[in-house]
Amino acid sequence: MVEKFKVDISKCIYCAGCVSVCPTAALTLNETRVYCDEGKCVACGVCEKACPVNAIRINKGGK
Amino acid sequence: MRFQTEYDVIVLGAGPAGSAFSKVAARGGMQVLMLDKKKEIGSPVRCGEGIAEHSEADLGIMVLPQAVASRIDGARVFSPNGKTLCLKNEGTKGYVLERKLFDKHLAIDAARAGAHVLPHSLAKGLLVTNENKPCGVKVLHMGEEIEFRAPLIVSAEGMEAKLAREAGFDVKAALYDVDTCFEYEMAGVPCEPFIDLYFSNRLAPRGYVWVFPKGKDVANVGIGIGGSVGGNPKQLLDQFIAEHPELFKRSQPVEFKGGIISVGAPINEFVKDNFMVIGTAAHQVDPIHGGGIGLAIEAGNIAAEVALNAFESGGDYSKARLLPYEEAWTKKSGSKLAKRLTLRKVLEKLNDDDWNHIVGSINEEDLQKVMEGQFKSVVAKIVLTRPTLFKLLSALV
Ligand SMILES: Cc1cc2nc3c(=O)[nH]c(=O)nc-3n(C[C@H](O)[C@H](O)[C@H](O)COP(=O)(O)OP(=O)(O)OC[C@H]3O[C@@H](n4cnc5c(N)ncnc54)[C@H](O)[C@@H]3O)c2cc1C
Ligand code: SF4
Ligand code: SF4
Repeated sequence: MVEKFKVDISKCIYCAGCVSVCPTAALTLNETRVYCDEGKCVACGVCEKACPVNAIRINKGGK
Repeated sequence: MRFQTEYDVIVLGAGPAGSAFSKVAARGGMQVLMLDKKKEIGSPVRCGEGIAEHSEADLGIMVLPQAVASRIDGARVFSPNGKTLCLKNEGTKGYVLERKLFDKHLAIDAARAGAHVLPHSLAKGLLVTNENKPCGVKVLHMGEEIEFRAPLIVSAEGMEAKLAREAGFDVKAALYDVDTCFEYEMAGVPCEPFIDLYFSNRLAPRGYVWVFPKGKDVANVGIGIGGSVGGNPKQLLDQFIAEHPELFKRSQPVEFKGGIISVGAPINEFVKDNFMVIGTAAHQVDPIHGGGIGLAIEAGNIAAEVALNAFESGGDYSKARLLPYEEAWTKKSGSKLAKRLTLRKVLEKLNDDDWNHIVGSINEEDLQKVMEGQFKSVVAKIVLTRPTLFKLLSALV
């Protein structure tokens, strides 16, 4: 299965911006890692827009 | 390690809101557990770290001297073409904090008052009774899943607010009502004791760039832009820095920070049966500048007094018993913030030319009035020289 949510950890500043805006509460930040519950993610791309360092790529085809 | 697992209240998050609540509640005799997923309370920082000096008296806190990075006399607003307005009076004095120390000190204060504090503990989910009322949390701590129980749960989770969401609060942030921010702490920036705000639609669409001094030559240099405008905050900030060699030609970043912050309205309810939401989790943030430290402590204090009342009169934490927090908060800060939200929604429609005109045609006194929510005479003054702004600014009068 192709993952819908992908984060480039070399860019991520673990600010949790993505977590706050996700409409389905699919994301969790613990310390420095963002985790995505792929079962909840609807590939809407909102987190991708909110990330201040463009660290997220959403694969819309992964739906 | 064996844990006490039964408490009177569990506080989620050890930011300013959670620590303020925990201190007051513990001092009043409640058994308090405050947990935070961070292993180091206060770090990483997601903040410009500015706070008004009068907050200390207003909030009944003492800012630890070591947590003050620098003292501030006032604020300066820069228009896109470089015109400046400067606000400097008793009310504009402030601090730029070292939040890593500030937040940790507030947590230490809560512990001194008797609260139990547990860092490195992620609250994963809510426990509920048969009637579906919150009665505890599932926590992941050092590889162990622990169930802590209490008749009152307080979300001081900041913008993430995942458990508040699980409890049914509408805390999800909409892109339109947040600013996405990126910030460097930089060495080698010539500093004066002012917080500087640069407005420009080109460089900071619907937001601003800030330079907050943390010493003679160290500053937080950050940018916040509207969440729905779709720009790249880091790229825009780098561009701002490149365009201001007079400030940054010898500067080096020593820390990367960032985050998103609510600049919309507070959430529509702060309490349900057995649950309270305080601080930035409840979007209690100033919509103009995104400041939320003082408001978080204020909400923590008010909510804790209400919780204590419920505790002392037998531990009924029903919504009706918790509502006085919502009412007191709304009375104290609600209408002030609502006015500032209206102002934000007007300012976000201005183009750079309008900004230049406005900053060029009003004076310090006018700016002070605007900050206090008295818009009428200032709008009249601006419209006199630029009638085309009437339609836009009329929303303020
Ligand atoms: C870039 C930026 C700049 C800012 N600049 C300023 C400024 O200059 N001045 C100002 O006053 N305000 C500023 N703010 C806003 C300010 O940072 C917040 O309003 C303030 O931190 C809110 O305090 P709080 O206690 O409500 O939440 P927070 O400080 O966010 O604390 C929440 C805590 O809860 C913890 N937590 C969350 N979920 C869980 C969970 N499930 N389990 C365990 N722990 C959890 C988090 O780890 C965190 O420690 C800025 C914000 C940003 C993003
Ligand atoms: S794509 Fe949408 S649903 Fe998926 S994690 Fe991002 S915000 Fe959440
Ligand atoms: S918004 Fe971007 S930088 Fe922030 S935690 Fe999410 S992926 Fe990382």
